[in-house]
Amino acid sequence: MNVDSSAGPIPTPVFRWFRRFGRGSELVFDHAGAIGVLFLSVLRATVRLQVPMRAFIRQIYVMGVESLPIVFVTGALAGIVTSQQGGYQMTGAIPQYVLGSLVVQTVVLEMGPVLTAIVLVGRVGARITAELGTMKVSEQIDAYHSLSRDPIALIAAPRVLAGVIAMPALVGFADIVGILAGMIAANIDSGLGFSSFFYGARLFWHSYDLFYSFAKAVVFGLAIPLISVHMGFRTKGGAEGVGRTTTDAVMFMTLTVLILDAMFPPLLLN
Amino acid sequence: MIEYRQIHKSFDHPVLSGVDLDVEQGEMFALFGPSGTGKSVLLKTTIALIQPDWGDVRIEGESVYADERTLFRARRKVGYVFQNAALFDSLNVFENVEMGIPEEELRTTPRMDIARRIWEALELVNLEPRVVLPKIPSELSGGMRKRVGIARAIVGRPKILLWDEPTTGLDPVNTAAVERLITRLSEELEVTSLVVTHDIEGGLDMCDRVAMLDGGRLRFCGTPNEFRQSDDPVVQAFVDRAAAERALDMAETQ
Repeated sequence: MNVDSSAGPIPTPVFRWFRRFGRGSELVFDHAGAIGVLFLSVLRATVRLQVPMRAFIRQIYVMGVESLPIVFVTGALAGIVTSQQGGYQMTGAIPQYVLGSLVVQTVVLEMGPVLTAIVLVGRVGARITAELGTMKVSEQIDAYHSLSRDPIALIAAPRVLAGVIAMPALVGFADIVGILAGMIAANIDSGLGFSSFFYGARLFWHSYDLFYSFAKAVVFGLAIPLISVHMGFRTKGGAEGVGRTTTDAVMFMTLTVLILDAMFPPLLLN
Repeated sequence: MIEYRQIHKSFDHPVLSGVDLDVEQGEMFALFGPSGTGKSVLLKTTIALIQPDWGDVRIEGESVYADERTLFRARRKVGYVFQNAALFDSLNVFENVEMGIPEEELRTTPRMDIARRIWEALELVNLEPRVVLPKIPSELSGGMRKRVGIARAIVGRPKILLWDEPTTGLDPVNTAAVERLITRLSEELEVTSLVVTHDIEGGLDMCDRVAMLDGGRLRFCGTPNEFRQSDDPVVQAFVDRAAAERALDMAETQ
């Protein structure tokens, strides 16, 4: 085949753009593949009953019980803001009881799962990455290997399993708090009675919405610890590396939560 | 016996370029070399904490890299002492040392016997078990942490001990104490010891044979006397520089 030598070199900005795109794609596939392998390893350790119960219960406590206060605050604020905003928009034109439906649907379908996930990214995900990153740079992960112990079973699996269990519970809690707070705010702000609020909520309620909310919770509860553990295990470069990886992990987890959230309506609501 | 065959490893640049080395059964062997020359990397390839790009490591004739089972068996034969002890932060000293006992033994051995083994391991490294057992690593001094790391490495009754810079970060008094400990443990436990160290004088005093890595290759391998009398200019320059650094350290300490 003849090559047209008169074509000249590829313009530098185009070449740079392709190179950046190529590197970016490689990085995404690299992370995705590694997270997939980590997930399978966690699954294998769980099926083989290698996960220490004590570590699992401790992680449930750290992720679930210790997160309750902040989830309470974010859930309540989500309900209040939705109620106030909805009340303002519905002034005059639409029957007020529709506000009940708006608050319940918004909190259950969107605000409850997503805000709880974002809270968990900051409170739990960052902590896991920093903790495991420190273990990595101080050779504690190598020490597990040298002692023929599996760090996936001992460190990763309890965190991932706890995320999957704790997250739906936290989302359920956030949903209830958000709805109650929204109902009280609607009463104070728009003068909507509790019975009218529930009438409106029941009018457009589908039991499927609850499944949808918990499905999101399970997926977020799996994604957050998987990414944070994966990033922690990849840490290198001492204390500075731990800081850098933790920042990257928080960005990575937040983006993943938002992208997954955007994938839910076309997959489960149509 | 540990056999390293044609070990190659690169990160951003080549670190090890075809290292061949044999460490005989029961001998104490020191590995010297300038910083960044791949000493710790070579040590870590012994039990696949770092996988070589090319080459093989055999322990008692069995390849470490053949499959998962041979790697598991190799790790069970080896006690690894990390540079900064690598104690598990969230566990106390008892639990840290307990991690050195194989899981099957933990399941089948009475708890009293396990506790006795941990107690004896701590006494072997000159720690007072009653005092240190309930402490967590952050409550221990650097020297104590190092000893707990050694206790964790020996409590599983290994046949081989790998020491990664065992005296780094210690003052001269603790350095001498740890070196005496390495010699005593290697003799009492009748283990093969491979010591990676920048402390040339200590290594030459302790070990039966020594080797030097330079530029990712084995520059020297022989007895301590042969090393001292080597006419290789690179070896001589390394010995002179190390002696100067040691003198500087002593002066700073005083």
